[in-house]
Amino acid sequence: MASDPQSAANQRIVEDLVSRLRRRQVVGSRATALETLLVLRQVVSKARFSNIDQLVNVIRSVGRRLVEAQPKEHSVGNTVRKVLHHIREEYHTASEPPAIETSFSIAKFVLQGQPRRQTTIPRSETRVPLKENDPDDPDSFARVLKPVLMEAIQDVFDELETVYDNISKNAKDHIHSDEIILTLGMSTTVQSFLKAAAHYRNYTVIVAETAPSYGGREMAKSLSSAGISTFLVPDSSIYALMSRVNKVILGAHAILANGGMFATSGSLLAATAARSYSTPVVVCAGQFKLTPLWNLYHEYGALDFGDPSAVLGFEEGDLVDKVDVVNPYYDYVQPELLDVFITNYGDHPPSSIYRLLKETYDDEDNEL
Amino acid sequence: MADLQIYESYQRLLQNEDLSTPLAAILALTEMMERSTAGTMFELLNELKGSAEALSRQSPNPIGLNAGCELFIEFITLFPHDAASFSELKTELIRQGQQYAKQALTYRAKIAELAFDFIKDDSVILTHSYSRVVLQTLLMAHKRKRISVFVTEARPRGMGIKTAEMLTAAGIPCSVVLDSAVAYVIEKVDFVLMGSEAVVESGGLVNAVGSNQIAIIAKAANKPFYALAESYKFHRMFPLSQYDLPSHNSRLLSFQTPSGNPRTPSGRRPSESSLAPNHTASIKITQEDIARNNPDIDYTRPDLISLVFSDVGSLTPEGVSQYLVGMFAG
Repeated sequence: MASDPQSAANQRIVEDLVSRLRRRQVVGSRATALETLLVLRQVVSKARFSNIDQLVNVIRSVGRRLVEAQPKEHSVGNTVRKVLHHIREEYHTASEPPAIETSFSIAKFVLQGQPRRQTTIPRSETRVPLKENDPDDPDSFARVLKPVLMEAIQDVFDELETVYDNISKNAKDHIHSDEIILTLGMSTTVQSFLKAAAHYRNYTVIVAETAPSYGGREMAKSLSSAGISTFLVPDSSIYALMSRVNKVILGAHAILANGGMFATSGSLLAATAARSYSTPVVVCAGQFKLTPLWNLYHEYGALDFGDPSAVLGFEEGDLVDKVDVVNPYYDYVQPELLDVFITNYGDHPPSSIYRLLKETYDDEDNEL
Repeated sequence: MADLQIYESYQRLLQNEDLSTPLAAILALTEMMERSTAGTMFELLNELKGSAEALSRQSPNPIGLNAGCELFIEFITLFPHDAASFSELKTELIRQGQQYAKQALTYRAKIAELAFDFIKDDSVILTHSYSRVVLQTLLMAHKRKRISVFVTEARPRGMGIKTAEMLTAAGIPCSVVLDSAVAYVIEKVDFVLMGSEAVVESGGLVNAVGSNQIAIIAKAANKPFYALAESYKFHRMFPLSQYDLPSHNSRLLSFQTPSGNPRTPSGRRPSESSLAPNHTASIKITQEDIARNNPDIDYTRPDLISLVFSDVGSLTPEGVSQYLVGMFAG
């Protein structure tokens, strides 16, 4: 297949993203999601297939390569899973004559609940018959299905484009006048959420500067330039200030299946401090961060480490040999410390994240 | 007569080592349907409900079989059919029941597969009493990872010893722990794996007595507590305390008076003579007395449970109620 010029072109764009992911030239969950989607669109538009399994296999193998290139950017895998889910959905609506449920069994009853009255919508449009594995014209399947698939991928695109607006839509219901909000790190989602609320409410934000990346400084600058009264504080004072804070608003890197999350280091500190004062912890995150994985073995870290020179520079030459310096990117925050996730698909408590996952992805894709 | 017959067939089915109580109950009901002469759906359902009640009445610990009966009867009530004749429908329903029982035997392997990911290499696991699904999970984990297991003795039935014997035979390092030594051992443990009699609507767990205290200790020590339950053990019940379980009765944990009879409200205060030192020597409390006076199962609150592994997925305790609501409400 490698001699096939089309698959060679596919290979090239996949390899390109793989190396950029590996070098950490693309970082951040939304950026990687967008890049992945671009690659997948290319791949689908160029792919040759004569049945659905071939197509799914093509996408999976691309997905696997991308995920292996940078396993800590969970939104890459999530985007692949989501595209697969959409493709299967489109395929089922396009191919199946509305199946009449005849096979009802106890196992199905347990899984899906009570049988619904079948409401079969008579399809008025006469569709081009979808033929799989047509020996005379192996491309006919792809020709019929491709436009629908491209549309489906476009939908995922649109969702990513509008994700910030959709999350901030209800910001004014979560932030009230004269409240004091604590946040940390530089999260575009949280930033747009806070700015959206500022249109309606007068409130104060305390931003922890979030060493060593100092994303908090950037965040504070951006918020105060939007006219929000902002305080920039060192990370060490989070606990001391917590008694005055009404709400902690955090961003997430990935939301895990049990309702916990990976978030900028420092988040665990803020969430734990909030717990001891019973301050609500609110997480703003797009749906593309939902990850069907568990944080299995490493309790507190995401095992993703950044450049240690940000913590201890080489100018401290004498010391560098004598200490181990770690600079973890993310904390693991347990579901018990979080109160609500605000997503572009509504607000959810950590305990119902598993259901959102079931609706968003197909079970068989959890392992790509 | 019919009541006796169904209990007999239930007991006979339970002889099969692989069949758990809910499945045995479903199969017993299908056998009853084969014998039944009911001519309409209404009659059949009445007979089924009667049999389920009879089973539940005669069994000392009905909670598992209740879950099975409840599932099967609800399924029959809602079964969408276009069968021409009633007898045809009946054979179809019987077939469904038997097919499910056969299919359900594969669930343990599925659960073991799900739980396997949560067992890391070199972990120390605490389990309680005897559970087929826990055993299967441990045996599977042993093939690919190093594990060692603490098993509680699980008085009064001592089923933990059976687990320990089977694990040792399979070459898994294993040690039996007294029920009263759980708090002592918990610090060495990485997580708790617990089987179940039933998982109830709150997401709580009904299992061999002692599970609750293990869950409380695990919570206090900040160790994960994982429950393993096949989906036919989901039971539509909402106990608020231990005493809401159907197995509870007033004879359990009643106070004994020195004369050996349970104290009655009109009971007299012990007289001087009964407190005489020579009297204490004549009182013997046997293990059987203790067992008779104690519960077999207890209820564990959902907030003590980290996850429930079942064949429908790894669920948070709250997730269980979604499936129950799907089946029994709406």
